[in-house]
Amino acid sequence: MFDRRFVQRFDWGLFGVTLALGTLGLMTLYSAVTADTQSPEKILVIKQMIWYCVGMTLMTVSFLFDYKSLDRWANPIYGFCIFLLICVLLFGKYVGGSKRWLALGPVSIQPSELVKIAVIIILARYYAKLANHEGFTLRTLLNPLILVGIPFVLVIKQPDLGTGVVILLIAASMTAFVKIERRSLIFMLTVCITAVPLTWHFGLKSYQKQRILTFLNPDMDPLGSGYHIIQSKIAIGSGIIFGRGFKKGVQNTLSFLPEQHTDFIFSVLAEESGFVGSLALILIFMILIIWGLNIAYGCRDPFGTILSVGVTAMIFWQVFINISMVMGLMPVVGVPLPFMSYGGSSVLTIMTCIGILMNISMRRFIVDV
Amino acid sequence: MKSVEKKRRKLRICIVGLFFVFFFSVIGIKAIYLQAFCPWLNDRALEEREKSLIFRGKRGTIYDANGREMAVTSADVESITAHPRHIKDPRATAQALSRALQIDAKTLNVKLESGKSFIWVKRQVGPRKSRTVKDLRLKGVGFISEHSRFYPSGTLAAQVLGFTGVDDRGLEGIEFYYDNWLKGSDHKLTVLKDGFDRKFDTEENTDMSYSGKNLILTIDKTIQFITESALEEAVTDFSAKSGMAVVMEPDSGAVLALAHAPVFNPNSFGKFDRDLWRNKAVTDPFEPGSTMKIFSAAGAIEFGGCTPDTIFFCENGAYQIGEDVVHDSQPYGWMSLGKIIKYSSNIGSVKVSEMIGPQLLYKTLRDFGFGEKTRIDCPGETAGTLSFYRRWSKIDAGTISFGQGISVSAIQLITATSAIANGGMLMKPYIVQAITNSNGQPVESFGPRKIRRVVSAETAEAVRQMMKSVVEKGGTGEKAALKGYSACGKTGTAQKIDGKGQYAKGKYVASFIGFAPAEKPRVVILAVLDEPQKNHYGGTVATPVFRKIAYETLNYMNVPPRHEKKKLTASVAGDQLPMIVATVNGSLSMDHGE
Repeated sequence: MFDRRFVQRFDWGLFGVTLALGTLGLMTLYSAVTADTQSPEKILVIKQMIWYCVGMTLMTVSFLFDYKSLDRWANPIYGFCIFLLICVLLFGKYVGGSKRWLALGPVSIQPSELVKIAVIIILARYYAKLANHEGFTLRTLLNPLILVGIPFVLVIKQPDLGTGVVILLIAASMTAFVKIERRSLIFMLTVCITAVPLTWHFGLKSYQKQRILTFLNPDMDPLGSGYHIIQSKIAIGSGIIFGRGFKKGVQNTLSFLPEQHTDFIFSVLAEESGFVGSLALILIFMILIIWGLNIAYGCRDPFGTILSVGVTAMIFWQVFINISMVMGLMPVVGVPLPFMSYGGSSVLTIMTCIGILMNISMRRFIVDV
Repeated sequence: MKSVEKKRRKLRICIVGLFFVFFFSVIGIKAIYLQAFCPWLNDRALEEREKSLIFRGKRGTIYDANGREMAVTSADVESITAHPRHIKDPRATAQALSRALQIDAKTLNVKLESGKSFIWVKRQVGPRKSRTVKDLRLKGVGFISEHSRFYPSGTLAAQVLGFTGVDDRGLEGIEFYYDNWLKGSDHKLTVLKDGFDRKFDTEENTDMSYSGKNLILTIDKTIQFITESALEEAVTDFSAKSGMAVVMEPDSGAVLALAHAPVFNPNSFGKFDRDLWRNKAVTDPFEPGSTMKIFSAAGAIEFGGCTPDTIFFCENGAYQIGEDVVHDSQPYGWMSLGKIIKYSSNIGSVKVSEMIGPQLLYKTLRDFGFGEKTRIDCPGETAGTLSFYRRWSKIDAGTISFGQGISVSAIQLITATSAIANGGMLMKPYIVQAITNSNGQPVESFGPRKIRRVVSAETAEAVRQMMKSVVEKGGTGEKAALKGYSACGKTGTAQKIDGKGQYAKGKYVASFIGFAPAEKPRVVILAVLDEPQKNHYGGTVATPVFRKIAYETLNYMNVPPRHEKKKLTASVAGDQLPMIVATVNGSLSMDHGE
């Protein structure tokens, strides 16, 4: 397997982008957790580095085998992830009012992160089999709806609105990509529009409603739920052109920023490296996404194409939602910024995704017989 | 067919790509907008973390004449605060705090879970406890340093010192009168603060230049203690409503002690009746009674050509003036001026005033400072009442001469008596002798200040001799006689006026004013007891106060008693000799003769 062609075909560009993002992520995290000089939590950086090592291994594993075999593994992977999600609801530990974590000895994982990959694979498998130029009708979409609906409901139950929304958006992107039959599309849009007020009244918890309300008007409650958005915007805004410099972010250092090492890490980067830094980060993410789509473009079989579109959509939505959220373009929902936010499950998921992309990228030259 | 399908797919990938790029452009533009076109966000960041705090310098210390602390401000007191919104685990925090501070964990837990942005955990905690809490490194727990005023001697000289309020401003007494000197100056400091409102890099309290000035009083803690003990004993013994006693150095007008009974504790002034807070010796006028006779007599000698031997007819105990009759406690016939003072004859006193006339009596009393503020450095001083002589009726002129129909403050009375004791010079009474800065360097000092010469040294000497006879056997103040020291004095027993302006039955003010030693007075002492129940004569009620204060104070001041002095000069007892020399020198330097 380790022949010269393998090295030649290895996607060095994607690997480079991944390394760049990972390094930037670790540096920003270091700055964020050592900010509070009174109780620096350097241990978090070390933990994150360990997660990256595990992630690299997972990435390697993910590109060593032929991605086409994922077609066979789709069902077991999906089943295992659903099993984990049910375990979370049964044995998960409460952190900050929601059950998202599953303790496995010394480490805890967040199955809702991993389930995203399972959903992408199983949808790719389904759509690749049935894809046609007419598009999918409601009847043929019923199956994917159930496949997405089960993990979605389980994740929302935790509750983890952010990941739930991301799962829905990934599924929607993949479905839109494989084309929906026109009448079915119109019907679904109508259902969605009517569903919004219903969900508002019956589906959302009061804190989730509060988040959406304060998103619309953060100054409504500047010390309560609007605090996060306001502080984050102030931090980003005070970065100006070149930022305050590494580890010199004052809003960060002085603990004004909430959750500065997880969901709000972008504001730390933006404050310390200014709009030069934040635009650079957005640009690198853009390169990654275009790279992912280019892999899809180059792939010759439908499963690989849909799979890479799905993985790219996942990265896109997470980046978009997270950065929009910290800049006040979207309500605060807990979505981590890939590569940047602290969190083992998030690192493992993104590295696996990169591994899958590499896998597809490396094998696109193999002539499909 | 397959290639068509592939082309379609590629087109769709491009559409997806455009869609993604569009959305990324949106966040990119928003980022540029926030960072490059929103300067107000940066301003707000500054506003948030830089906070201008007003710091007040430490309040000055009040020392007694010997540099012993009477009121101190300690800056090492801190209040512990909490920001419940930043506390992740209120229960654990509450337990840790309750263990460190010995406060109830349950109530604290309720406070911490209240969701308020700020609460007081415990106010004014000592340095050791606040250190313990700091070592716990609890998130969301803050510290605010505070000044607290403490009166180490408790109730001692409470009415003189007064007290400060929670905002460190003087509210009563010296604290109030000298507030502008004592209080620390306000200064603005810009500090960096964090999201928990904690401060960074402040040099608060270390800068002494913002501290208030210190006061050095003329009050001597020991004499104050002697005075308060003697007064309290008499108030208890005779069941008096209240009492006051003042000790003054006659040559300078310095107040050595100023005592009230009952007392209050300025450390917890709120628990006491407001009425006790006042420095009544300065603020409250009273009718002095017979103690005034010494001033009438001084006037008669100074202006009327009398001598202590000039005789007056005392009408055998009842003297009709218009419709009123003046009585003596015992009937007297012809009596010298000296005897009138010694036995305290009211009629004799009236006769004396008739001889010199209202104008000169008025002049004498005004010269002694009655009817006008002494301008002592205490708040709320009263001028007393002495109406103009042209408005006096015939009986007024008579009663004023023996101290009814006139009201004076204790401080006026003792200041006037000091003029007799020191040879005729009226001094301005004072209670603060110096103001020093935080390094102890004096910035202002207040020495003795002469107001005017009231009577000649000879007159003063003549009055002193008469006052000496009061304390001798047979005099009304014989119980004031001191062991080892000669003394001069005058008793006073005044009837109190009730609400209707009539003299109330059974309500008296018993007083004694005196000084010792008679030859060279070192202390003038006034004792006033309000409404004593068991006996109302000044000669019985107030004399023990005088005797105790005078005896113990003179001993404390190393004034040698008469008989011991003889012994010492005879045997020249080694190292005790310099003490006497020192005393003699002291007396000489304190002589203020014109």
